[in-house]
Amino acid sequence: MRRFGTKHTPQSFKPPKLNITAMMDMFTIILIFLLFSFSSEPELAGLDKDMQLPQSTSKTDFQDTVKLVLSQSTLKMGDEVVAQIEDNVIIGLDPDNLKSSGLFIRLSHRSEMHNKSATGNQGPRPILLLCDRRLPFKTINQITKTAALAGFPNFQFAVLEM
Amino acid sequence: MSSLMKKKHRDDPDVEVDMVPIMNMFLVLVPFLLMSASFFHIKAINTSVPVQAAASKKMQADPGLKTTVIIELSQRVVDLSLQADGLKPRETSKWQRQFQKQTDGTFPFTAMADQLGRVKSAYPASDTLIIVPHGDVLYDTIIKIMDMARYEEAEKKLFPNVVISGKIG
Repeated sequence: MRRFGTKHTPQSFKPPKLNITAMMDMFTIILIFLLFSFSSEPELAGLDKDMQLPQSTSKTDFQDTVKLVLSQSTLKMGDEVVAQIEDNVIIGLDPDNLKSSGLFIRLSHRSEMHNKSATGNQGPRPILLLCDRRLPFKTINQITKTAALAGFPNFQFAVLEM
Repeated sequence: MSSLMKKKHRDDPDVEVDMVPIMNMFLVLVPFLLMSASFFHIKAINTSVPVQAAASKKMQADPGLKTTVIIELSQRVVDLSLQADGLKPRETSKWQRQFQKQTDGTFPFTAMADQLGRVKSAYPASDTLIIVPHGDVLYDTIIKIMDMARYEEAEKKLFPNVVISGKIG
């Protein structure tokens, strides 16, 4: 140790100082941007990856209400799969007997619950319908008809802001 | 004066703020916010389906004549017509128009909006439009028609109440 002098002893070694000011600045900017873009809208988790919503000029915010998700392969109520869809036909939804479907039973139950808790002249709550833009109207029509029969005649069609 | 300043500099050690806890907090916050941030904004179009209801007396007492525009939508043609209790068939028939799909595969939305604007100018109290799509019309096309029918310009509303109805028969 002595041969090399005291200059190179571990005691005298000082690690170089890392200047983290620039990194702090960057993190602060990212944090502020993310805090501003943090959405105050109700969460829309559980959307299928292959789901394509239509684009629209609408500026109306959606309500946190009963959510129906109609993709090309499944019909979901909330996060629960209600029916499968094959070739744009909803399996288990008979167009001549919509009241026998699982969707009608679930929606009727929700409608009854809402009516019990509703106060005064509160109208029927809308259904938030997230629907794939490639689906034909005949598929959507079955859903809207069933929902209207169950006591939900009003809808909010979810769209992507242009 | 200068000796005083030198003394002061010697007495104050170079103070360093420990940034490591703040960095740690940032490293936790940034991924959390990135995961929960939504980079696309979802909006909604309010609509309804026709329901059976008793006739409203309020509508009869309305001073302005309210008409209902009906848009029948098929894959290639859009039929626009007018319906109103206080109008004779001869008057409603003059508003009927048919719009063919263009060669680029889109409907002439500008011409349709112009026609709807003329109806709105003639009957300003009108605010309801019924869209009757055929079964094979895509949802995307219906939304485009709804957009065109609801607004003409940014704040000038055409027919904000859009009702969607299946074709009967």
